[in-house]
Amino acid sequence: MNPNHNPQSSDGGRHDDDAALTEFLASLMDYTPTIPDELVEHYLAKSGFQSPDIRLTRLVAVATQKFVAEVAGDALQHCKARQATIPKDKRDRQQKDKRLVLTMEDLTKALHDYGVNVRHQEYFADSPSTGMDPATRDE
Amino acid sequence: MGFTYPTDGNPNQHHFPDGGGGGGVRERASSDDFGRAVSRVAVAQICETAGFNGVKNSAIEALSDVAIRYLIDLGKIAEFYANLAGRSQCSVFDLILGLEDLEQVKGFIGSGQSQCLLGSGTLKDLMRFVNCADEVPFAQPIPNFPVIRHRKVIPSFSQMGEAPPSKHIPPWLPALPDPHTYIHTPVWGERTCDPREDKIEQARQRRKAERSLLSLQKRLLLSSGSVETRNTTSNVVVPSGGGASLRQGEGEGGDKNPYLKAPVDNKDVSPVPLPGKLSDDVDMIANHVSVLEAFGPAIEMMRSSGVLCEDDGMEGRAVLPAVRPTVYFKFRAGKKLIRESLDMRNQKKDASRTAALAGREDERDDKKRRAELILKQSMENPQELTLL
Repeated sequence: MNPNHNPQSSDGGRHDDDAALTEFLASLMDYTPTIPDELVEHYLAKSGFQSPDIRLTRLVAVATQKFVAEVAGDALQHCKARQATIPKDKRDRQQKDKRLVLTMEDLTKALHDYGVNVRHQEYFADSPSTGMDPATRDE
Repeated sequence: MGFTYPTDGNPNQHHFPDGGGGGGVRERASSDDFGRAVSRVAVAQICETAGFNGVKNSAIEALSDVAIRYLIDLGKIAEFYANLAGRSQCSVFDLILGLEDLEQVKGFIGSGQSQCLLGSGTLKDLMRFVNCADEVPFAQPIPNFPVIRHRKVIPSFSQMGEAPPSKHIPPWLPALPDPHTYIHTPVWGERTCDPREDKIEQARQRRKAERSLLSLQKRLLLSSGSVETRNTTSNVVVPSGGGASLRQGEGEGGDKNPYLKAPVDNKDVSPVPLPGKLSDDVDMIANHVSVLEAFGPAIEMMRSSGVLCEDDGMEGRAVLPAVRPTVYFKFRAGKKLIRESLDMRNQKKDASRTAALAGREDERDDKKRRAELILKQSMENPQELTLL
């Protein structure tokens, strides 16, 4: 990074950014994030975050909402891509298109890009020998 | 921020290996359940905004858990940066630094960490998100949680205004309990407690109350009996049709009392419903509680034991005035007598007027009114209660 910025432009830029940030924080009070304030405050208090300013909690709520929305968006892309590749006749695919369901499969793929590795158990068996060949089970 | 996240991350949950049978064990409630439930709803709403029609249970639980961890992590990192700068309270810049830290995984937006945080790409991205995204508020109002329960604390010595008993106890400690809670002091003037005597006294009082009630019922019966026998011999036109059948019924079974004549003044008397034993008309008294049946055995028992003979001192009191005022063999003020007789006459008049309309209901109301009047009389004259 170039530490020697042109002072004038940086000052002007800073003022703009400053104004933008102030305006943004003010606009946060109008915007109601999907994640409620009480929940955010509870978990921030748990982690030691102390701030009397409501705008900061709103900022955290909005940031979390953005994160979850991005993950959901990526999962949706995966889901749609999977539906496109299924080799079925048009009528079946149209029926499936109506129902976009978030599954563990899509979520795993989406979260993997964000550094969250999700391990999901595919099925649970009655006993170790379930589903095995009957001939081998007797042994 | 890479970490492995097992999806059955809630340690209290059991996954039954036997294919889901066995009823499902009840999960132990953890203290964080409410937060998780709220986060579940919020994340589901975000998914709906993103375009999903539905979510799978396991997927939504995983995503809500990830969201909570993101919240906690962001708070931790921001707090860390604030502490690093020697502050205890977080500022917006700590938050921006934390956001950038978490964004590192995906790669830097903009040109990485700029000189001035105000120009960070992360912040700009966030601003863009707020401007573009639709506002979807949370579905329900949530109370402030966790709810703090205020426990009742024992006041300290200084709050009670007491001085601690010895020097080694500081005054800010909770006060010692009052001495009456642990010291047994003698009681003066105590009534000698004799359980046997108490029981006997209680039984005596109960018997007295029962006796008075039974004598009252007996008198009511007698009065109704006298009215019925009078009705068999009188030529009074019975207004209601039900009453006609009643008269027929009692004409068969009831004996004619030669000592009872028809009343001089031919007033319309509302017929009194017979008790079950004397009347053949079952429908008439189907829903009428028979006083005779209810108290018959008790009255017989008491008569045999001679208890009811105690009130022999008041002859003539046994027959209550039913049709018209009779002469009381009682030594009472004349005024009260006249007042009572007027009451009875007025009531009889009212009864006869409406008898044509509703036969049965009126009889019962009549009886009730009579009983109430008797009780009122006994209340007004407490000195005569002892004679009951």
